[in-house]
Amino acid sequence: MARNLKKENSSYLSNFLSAPVKIFFLVCMMASILFPLYWLLSNSVKLEQEYFAKPPIIFPTKITGINYIELFTRYDALRPLVNSILIASITTVFSVVFGSLAAYSLVNGYLPGKIRKMFGGWFLIQKMYPAIVVAVPVFYVFSKLRLLDNIFSLIIMNTSFNLPLVIILLVGFYTEAPYELEEQGMLEGCNLFQRYFFITTPMVKAGLIATGMLTFIASWNEFLYGVILSVNKAKPLTVTIAGFITDMGLRWGPMAAMGCLIIIPVLVLMWLMQRDFISGVSAGALKE
Amino acid sequence: MSIHTRTHIRYSKVDIAYSWLFLLPVIIILFIAALIPLLSGLYLSFHEYKLNMPSIPMRFVGLGNYVELFKDELFLQSLRNNTIFAFMSVSIEMVLGVLFAMLLSEDNKLSRGMITIVLIPMVIAPVAAGTLWRMMLDRTYGVINYLLSFIGISPISWLGDPAVAIYTIVAVDIWQFTPYVTILVLSSIKAIPRSFFESARVDGSSSWTLFRRIILPLSSPVIIVVMMLRFIDAFKVFDTIFVMTQGGPGNATEMLPTYIYQQGIKFFRVGYSSAIAVLFVITMSLVSWGYNKLRALELRRLD
Repeated sequence: MARNLKKENSSYLSNFLSAPVKIFFLVCMMASILFPLYWLLSNSVKLEQEYFAKPPIIFPTKITGINYIELFTRYDALRPLVNSILIASITTVFSVVFGSLAAYSLVNGYLPGKIRKMFGGWFLIQKMYPAIVVAVPVFYVFSKLRLLDNIFSLIIMNTSFNLPLVIILLVGFYTEAPYELEEQGMLEGCNLFQRYFFITTPMVKAGLIATGMLTFIASWNEFLYGVILSVNKAKPLTVTIAGFITDMGLRWGPMAAMGCLIIIPVLVLMWLMQRDFISGVSAGALKE
Repeated sequence: MSIHTRTHIRYSKVDIAYSWLFLLPVIIILFIAALIPLLSGLYLSFHEYKLNMPSIPMRFVGLGNYVELFKDELFLQSLRNNTIFAFMSVSIEMVLGVLFAMLLSEDNKLSRGMITIVLIPMVIAPVAAGTLWRMMLDRTYGVINYLLSFIGISPISWLGDPAVAIYTIVAVDIWQFTPYVTILVLSSIKAIPRSFFESARVDGSSSWTLFRRIILPLSSPVIIVVMMLRFIDAFKVFDTIFVMTQGGPGNATEMLPTYIYQQGIKFFRVGYSSAIAVLFVITMSLVSWGYNKLRALELRRLD
């Protein structure tokens, strides 16, 4: 009985424009999201005469893996793939390790209050300026340092752009971790590093994983620094797929295959960690 | 960022040293990747310097670059384009985002499944989304024109027609970022205590009244923040433009970030492009200051 009431209540809310209108909008929304994805996936397994047909062929008559094979044999996608994996994973490790050290120190360390305020300010400022604003000076500085076309420069830039969010999320996790254990550690003579490493950080493992996922997705998808700082050997996948459009005419099959290569890992991650993703995104937007 | 201060039982010099050491990597990265570039951008904006001609020394021009900006037709056009783009895409995203948040506020399996799907556009790389839409919107071979032909619409040159291209970009942005609005507004709707709705129902108010009188006002602080973030992000648009139109046809979809890129990276006009960037940061700071004032006002009204 109580359960029925609850159910009725919740649909009462979503029916605020009447039930048929609701169904109409939801169907439209689902179709507009799913159809493009279907189109990408199906083009990636179509033969050339089918992805280049007029009128377009909605259901491929023959499914082929040729586009994926061509990606690696003809378009040298292996190197960008390795670059993307390296950039995203090293950025993730850097951001989580450095971010957790900093967040721990901001919460449990012995720092003047001014420092904490400064980090908060940085977080706000960074939301406001787009990557392109620093991109030109960064390009200038890295070209002077002869670090262009080196994945290390991409890792540094990605890390710097992810750190504010990582720190603000982890500060939340460290603040919520039980402080009694910290105190116990202090009484037993553990120094700050030991308390960080052995006591408190193991308790915020969930937070480390969640922020790591967000960082991985953001740096996997990153494009601007890729296009500015890489010429050839440091190109990530996102830059390579953009090159498909500008350099090679309309080779849709391999292009769609590469699109799938970029999208699928992120979708799998998101599907596995949806809840962390949503709470991370909300905290990033609404915390200050 | 508010971090509540803890009272410590005792601490040693070693712990103080560790506290600073823990911050060190972050501070170093900040210096290299944020502070130095930002400051050198500011410095460069007062100079004339071409990166491809390093033998010509940097020349101080004072506010010259900034003065030139306002005479630069192309800059003014990208500013105009970007403003149109931001207002259109953000307003539609807000309406659709709130609508879908309401429609998905039901707490059952189907809604949860749909929420998973809604998240998809916002996690895929904007470059990949741009590529995908470019493929679908192709004038001759694209599937969109094909589907439209069934309802008697003749082929549209979505990305090739200067009068249409900017709206196409708006549509792709809406596709990708409405989910962001939906997710955030949805979580604010779910945070409203159920008892509010029940008592309103007992009073016999319709669900539309419920939406207007309870949900909209209580979510308004979140809606304002989300609107601000989307608005700022709309001025950062780069990836989609880069793969879909490259600012063209003509300059119909040139936006501020693509213009900064064009001037700074393609034409190597480091000083000039930095001036645009500096102006950009100042404007965005003003915008977010305005929004924060608005939000503070909303919050006070709610109390």
